Amino acid sequence: MAALSLTRRGVLLGAAAALATTGVAKALTLAEIKKRGYMTVATEDDYQPFEFTKDGKPTGYDQELLEMFKKSAGFEVRQDIIPWTGILPGVTTGKYDAAVTAILVTQERMKTLDFCSPVVESIDYYLKRKGDKKIRGIKDLNGLSLGVEAGSAMLKMLPQLDDMLKATGGKLGKIVSYQGYPEAYQDLALGRIDFVVNTRLSLESIAKSKPDTFEIGEPVSKPTYIAWAVVKGNSELLATLNAFLLGTRKDGSMYALQKKWFDTTFEHMPEAPTADV
Amino acid sequence: MGTGDYLALAAGAGNTIAISLLAIAIGTPLGLGLALIRWGRVRGLDGVVATLVSLLRATPAVTLVLLVYFALPTVGLEVPRFAAGVATLTLGSMAYNCEIWRAALLAFPRDQLDAACAFGMPRGLRFSLVVLPQIARAALPALVNEMTLLIKVSPAVAVIGVTEATRAAVRIGATTYNPIPPFLVALAIYVVVIGFFVATQRMLERRHRAGLFA
Repeated sequence: MAALSLTRRGVLLGAAAALATTGVAKALTLAEIKKRGYMTVATEDDYQPFEFTKDGKPTGYDQELLEMFKKSAGFEVRQDIIPWTGILPGVTTGKYDAAVTAILVTQERMKTLDFCSPVVESIDYYLKRKGDKKIRGIKDLNGLSLGVEAGSAMLKMLPQLDDMLKATGGKLGKIVSYQGYPEAYQDLALGRIDFVVNTRLSLESIAKSKPDTFEIGEPVSKPTYIAWAVVKGNSELLATLNAFLLGTRKDGSMYALQKKWFDTTFEHMPEAPTADV
Repeated sequence: MGTGDYLALAAGAGNTIAISLLAIAIGTPLGLGLALIRWGRVRGLDGVVATLVSLLRATPAVTLVLLVYFALPTVGLEVPRFAAGVATLTLGSMAYNCEIWRAALLAFPRDQLDAACAFGMPRGLRFSLVVLPQIARAALPALVNEMTLLIKVSPAVAVIGVTEATRAAVRIGATTYNPIPPFLVALAIYVVVIGFFVATQRMLERRHRAGLFA
């Protein structure tokens, strides 16, 4: 869990984006899927703990949810396991009816995709050195240097923290971008930066593994959501997937899977995801 | 890395070898065909081939495979992913091999052909007995060079879900957070496969020198 990163989906690859915009959507509606007899979904192969391959077999949080959906769907669900790059173009060109993978819901993606009810909520927090007396609350972050991953969604969320600081008369300090979070944590421990911004899940995991070095702070962003997606306008299929997903919330099976894979639960997510980035 | 991981890497290696060999086996003669069209200045086709080769050489393998796998279904052509992978690598190999064959053809001494003509040798025989053995020998190092490049480009097909050696290694690294052992195994796989091609080339060249290879 140490390298868990919920929001690497900040960047869409060029090739994928180009295809996604040129592709002619011909995803099947629910009636067409029933007529054809099967639905096609794409899942990923290396995104622990959502979907990954263990001994050549798919597993993970989304995979277990998908297996529950396969049982309840009433039609065959054919699964293609492909890397992230091919997933969104696959859905927008109609090759797949749904992307059953952890997609960060963004305003940009909402233009071409309809997102299902979220499966995970993600909020950015700050991490500080254990016992650092400079930082007692959000307003103390004024002007302090912070570490964040280059090109990440967390970096894009920083204006939200800036707004919070402005409300108390402060502002963001120096932003140091790192190639990866491990380097940022090291620099924090060494005192080269004052705090690190990352998702709650990642920071909880690092604070738990190094309790004498790090301490988790407070939320510094609005929540973002991670959800499955269908092509824009395929509302019947969206409704079918949503009915299933909301059902797993009601009977608690989704929360049990969250406990298993994330060691926490997200019980206050909205029925439809929102996007502030 | 456990037994399951080694099995996954072995399966990936199998895919790498199968896809590369198929693409080489189809792409090399297709390249020769295109080169002959250009060499013979076949009216109408010459320009088409030149444009096609230039386009293919300008297209990255990852982009091409995404196009074959995701764009063709939108015009009603459903391609299985293994076939899409082979087709992509074949197209690339065909384009590069066309240029390699063409270079060998351009360097071919014309007076030999004139001599064969003077003896009344028909076109087919002129090609198979006079031209092909000599250009094959001249092109061999460049062709094998291109084959080794193709094998190293083959991880591009992973993007449509064909799990070849590199992707198998990525998957293992993503679960163990220790990517070095699977990558070292993958590297060893490539060294062995490419070593096989280079060894074959050496063997053929030794046979030429001994005059055994017509």
